[in-house]
Amino acid sequence: MDRLPRGRHGLSPEFVAQNQRERLIAGLTEVLYEVGYQKTTVSLIGRRAAVSKSDFYKHFESKDDCFYAAYDSAIDRIREQVLSACRRHVDEPWPPRVRDALSALLAALAADPPLATLSLVEGLRAGPGMYDRYQAALEGFVTFLRQDAPPALGGAEVPRATDEAIVGGIAALLGRRVQAGETAAIVELLPQVAEFALTPYVGTDEARRIVSAG
Amino acid sequence: MTPARPALPREFVAVHKRRRMMDAMAELSAERGYGATKIADVVSRAGVARKTLYDNFAGKEELFLAAFETTVAEARETVEAACAAVAAGDGETIEAGLQALLEFLAARPAQARMCMVEALSATPAAAVQYEEAIQAFVELLREGAPPAASRPNTLEETLVGGVAWVLQQRIRNDEAEVVGRLLPELSGFVLSPYRGVGKPGR
Repeated sequence: MDRLPRGRHGLSPEFVAQNQRERLIAGLTEVLYEVGYQKTTVSLIGRRAAVSKSDFYKHFESKDDCFYAAYDSAIDRIREQVLSACRRHVDEPWPPRVRDALSALLAALAADPPLATLSLVEGLRAGPGMYDRYQAALEGFVTFLRQDAPPALGGAEVPRATDEAIVGGIAALLGRRVQAGETAAIVELLPQVAEFALTPYVGTDEARRIVSAG
Repeated sequence: MTPARPALPREFVAVHKRRRMMDAMAELSAERGYGATKIADVVSRAGVARKTLYDNFAGKEELFLAAFETTVAEARETVEAACAAVAAGDGETIEAGLQALLEFLAARPAQARMCMVEALSATPAAAVQYEEAIQAFVELLREGAPPAASRPNTLEETLVGGVAWVLQQRIRNDEAEVVGRLLPELSGFVLSPYRGVGKPGR
């Protein structure tokens, strides 16, 4: 993210503040990716963002506070990419739309390893505040999955615990690959991940058919 | 005349004290979090001398990791025994193992929270051990699964991760004692890929 020009630039204070805040969030995301949560410090974040320590504390109370903001921003970006993929396929039935949503999710993560690391790996490591956010993000995906979802074969509604397990299992799988430095390759997991998500609803055969039709 | 109380073998006492220290660590880290748990609180809860703790463990982290490993080993034994007791059948082995796991966790809420919630953020070494424990259960599931023509190679990893996530949420909400109630949904979820090719999902 570009630093503002030195000296008088005639930009509004609000813009400057917002720009600094965004740079700090981007700085945290990068530093976190490079050294992990324990070693990420306000000094390192500030230096990466080209923001002074005192300016850091105008925006955030602490490293964790900045972390929360970065996390929320990351989830928003991912959600937006998944939703816009779904909007393009709004006329499709539910199962291929889930497949397309997962495809957009994997693409968004694979294209941005620091984003993937922040959202999937560090979310569980950094204590209760982050865990709450990780949980809320996964809950959001569960709600999204259940929207317009059909019943399972046989007519019974798929229990919410099943959807939680689908989302949680996929998130854990992706997190493990990201942590192993295999972020770019996660797009290759789409067939398996889509089959995994659809099987409790439509059975393995139909899930595989939908996946290969994609 | 009252018989003199026989002295317990030293080894028995030592093992018992280790267990009390590990249980105290589990309880306290579940109550307050790993970070806020102090050695002074552990020895007090366990009813042992500080020296005894340091004779057995280098410090807080080593005690936590030992408590974690002991619980995981006991959980695996319980699950393996339950699976072995069921004749290999269409998913019965998996269901038996899952039920045994849920009952194990429900009977030990503090250990459940220590292993499935606290371990992730306690220390980097604890997070590594958590991942190894997950892999151990992935292997168990692979072994217990019905033989199949083709399955995605990430299947068991995703299934175990999914079950773990559902359990983590309940345990975090202090609902460990009732995770047994999840058996129908969780077994439905775990078994649906094995109802496999040619058969409808449940």
